[in-house]
Amino acid sequence: MTDPSGVGIGWRPEIAGFVAELPGLRFVEVVAEGVPASGPLPPGLTQLRERAVTVVPHGVRLSLGGAEPVDPTRVAHLAAVAQRLDAPLVSEHIAFVRAGGLEAGHLLPLPRSREAVDAVCANVARAQAELPVPIALEPIAALVDWPDDELDEADFLTEILDRTGALLLLDVANVHANARNRGADPLALLDRLPLERVAYAHVAGGAERGGFYHDTHTDPVPPAVLELVGALCARQRPPALLLERDGHYPPAAELRTELDALAAAAGFPAVT
Amino acid sequence: MIVHAASGDTWGISGPTFLRYYIAAAVVVAVIVAYHRIRLATGSTAAMTGDPLGPQQIAYLNGGPQLAVHAALGGLRGSGAVGVRPDRRLTTGGPAPAGLSPLDQAIHWAAHQNSRVRDLTQDERVRTALQQIRDGLEQRGLLTNDTKRARARRWIQVLLVLLGIGVLRLFSGLFDDRPVGYLLLTLVPLLIVTLALRRVPALTRAGRAALRDVRRQHTHLAPASSPAYATYGATGAAMGVALYGTTALWALDPGFAEQAEIQRQAAASSGWSGGATSSSDSSSNNYSGGDSSCGGGSSCGGGGGCGG
Repeated sequence: MTDPSGVGIGWRPEIAGFVAELPGLRFVEVVAEGVPASGPLPPGLTQLRERAVTVVPHGVRLSLGGAEPVDPTRVAHLAAVAQRLDAPLVSEHIAFVRAGGLEAGHLLPLPRSREAVDAVCANVARAQAELPVPIALEPIAALVDWPDDELDEADFLTEILDRTGALLLLDVANVHANARNRGADPLALLDRLPLERVAYAHVAGGAERGGFYHDTHTDPVPPAVLELVGALCARQRPPALLLERDGHYPPAAELRTELDALAAAAGFPAVT
Repeated sequence: MIVHAASGDTWGISGPTFLRYYIAAAVVVAVIVAYHRIRLATGSTAAMTGDPLGPQQIAYLNGGPQLAVHAALGGLRGSGAVGVRPDRRLTTGGPAPAGLSPLDQAIHWAAHQNSRVRDLTQDERVRTALQQIRDGLEQRGLLTNDTKRARARRWIQVLLVLLGIGVLRLFSGLFDDRPVGYLLLTLVPLLIVTLALRRVPALTRAGRAALRDVRRQHTHLAPASSPAYATYGATGAAMGVALYGTTALWALDPGFAEQAEIQRQAAASSGWSGGATSSSDSSSNNYSGGDSSCGGGSSCGGGGGCGG
C-alpha cells in the first residue's frame, strides 16, 4: 500500500518475465479488466506483490465520460481488484467507451462542455462511493477537438479535479500528441494544469503518420516526449513515471534503455 | 471344497490349488515390479548439484531428444542464426555465433548443410550432442537409466503374461461351466495393479521435481501469456519451446515454423518415450513418460491429452 514512486512500467502478461527481473522496480500498473476479481492472480503479479512492488489497477472500460451512469458491476470489479492488489489508488480515463448500448472498443474523447463536466463528475462520484482507494483521472489524446467546446483542456481538467477531489494521471505523450496535432505549445498546457495533483504520469511511445502524431504505445518514446518529461519535472516532478508499452515489444536491452532514459530525464534512480 | 484334482477341473488343476499358486506368483511379481519402479524413480545418485539446467536439458526432460532439438532450434531462430529456404531446408546466416551449446553447434552445422528439420535427430553430430545431454541428465540422477528401465520392463511383461494366463483360465472355466468367482476376484485387483505399474518412468523423482521448478519459474513463457519473444531473446525462445512445446516455436516465428515443417505440438502431449536417442531402440516406443510431463497442472492446458 505504498504510493507509486520512481520509474515504473505497465505490467503486461507478454513481458511479465522482463518486468519480474527489474531489480529496482517499485511500481507497476496493470490493466484492471485483465485481473480477475477472484481466483488465482497472474503468477507474475503475485511475485511483484511479494516483493512489495506497488501495483496500480488501471481501468479502461469504466466509461466515466458516458452520459449514462457508470456500470456498478464494473466499479465493483475495479474495487475488488484494488483490494486484492492492496493498491494505494486506481486510475481511469476521462473518456467514454460506450454509448446507447454500443461498445466503441476504444477510448473516445468528450466534448469539453459544462454538461460533460457534470456527467463526468457525477460518474466519478458514483465510482468514488464504491472504491476503497482514491482514483486518479487520465485525460486522453484526441486528434481533433469537438466543434462546440466551451472550455479549454486545462479548465476542463481543473474543473473536474476540483469538483471530484480526484487525482490527476497525466499522460505526457498525450500532452505532446495533443499539442503537436493542434500546433499548440505543450508547455503552455503544463503551466496551467494543477501539477501538484499528479499521482503519477504516463509516458509512451508513438509515431508520426500522415502529418499527425499517433500515441501508439507500440513505438519507442521519441526524444520530444522525453524532453517534455524533463520540462514537467522542472516545474513539478510527479511522484512516479510509468512507461506504457502495449505491443511490438522490443528486445529486453532496448526496453531497459528506454526505462533508463526515462529515469535520467526525471532524475529518478534507474530501475534496471 | 475338493482339493484334489478332479477330471472336470480346468487344465487338470483344481480351482483352489491354481488360485493359491497363482496369487502367490502374482504377489511376488507385482512386488518385484513395484520395487523396480521405486528404484527407477528414486534414481541412482539423485544429486541436485551442478549448474542450473539449460533450455535444452529441460527440453530433454520434458519431451525427449526431439523436443531438445526443437528447443535448440527455437534458440537459434530467436537469435537469427538459422533460417529456412523455400525448399523447406534449413540455412544459416553465416558462421556459428559464439556461446553455443554442443547441440546448437551440431544443429547449426546441419543447417549449414541444408538439412531438413525432421532429419536433424538422425544427424551424426546432433545425435552425439543429444547423447551428451542424456548422459549428463542421467549422471545428475534426473533421467532413468536405459538398462534399468529395460529390466523393469521385463518384469512388467512377466506380470502381463501372468494376467494372460489368468484370463485364459477364466474363459476356459466359463466355457466349461466351472465356478470362476474367486478367480475373477483375483484378476480384478491384478489388472488394476498391472495398469498402475505398466509404465516405466523416463524421469526420476528428482527429474520431475526439477522440471516442475523450472516450469514454475517460467510461467511467463506459457502460450496463454503470448510471451514477447523479442524481449525474452534466444534463451527465452528456447526455454519456451522446452517447456511448452513447438506451440512456442509457432508463436515465435510462424513463417519459419511452417516453412520448416515443424509440427505444432504442446509439450505435454508429445508423449515422450524416454528411449535412447538411437532409432534402433524400437522397444522404447511402447511406453511413455506419461505422468512426468504433466506435473505442472495448469501448464497442461493447451495440449489436451497428457502423455501417452
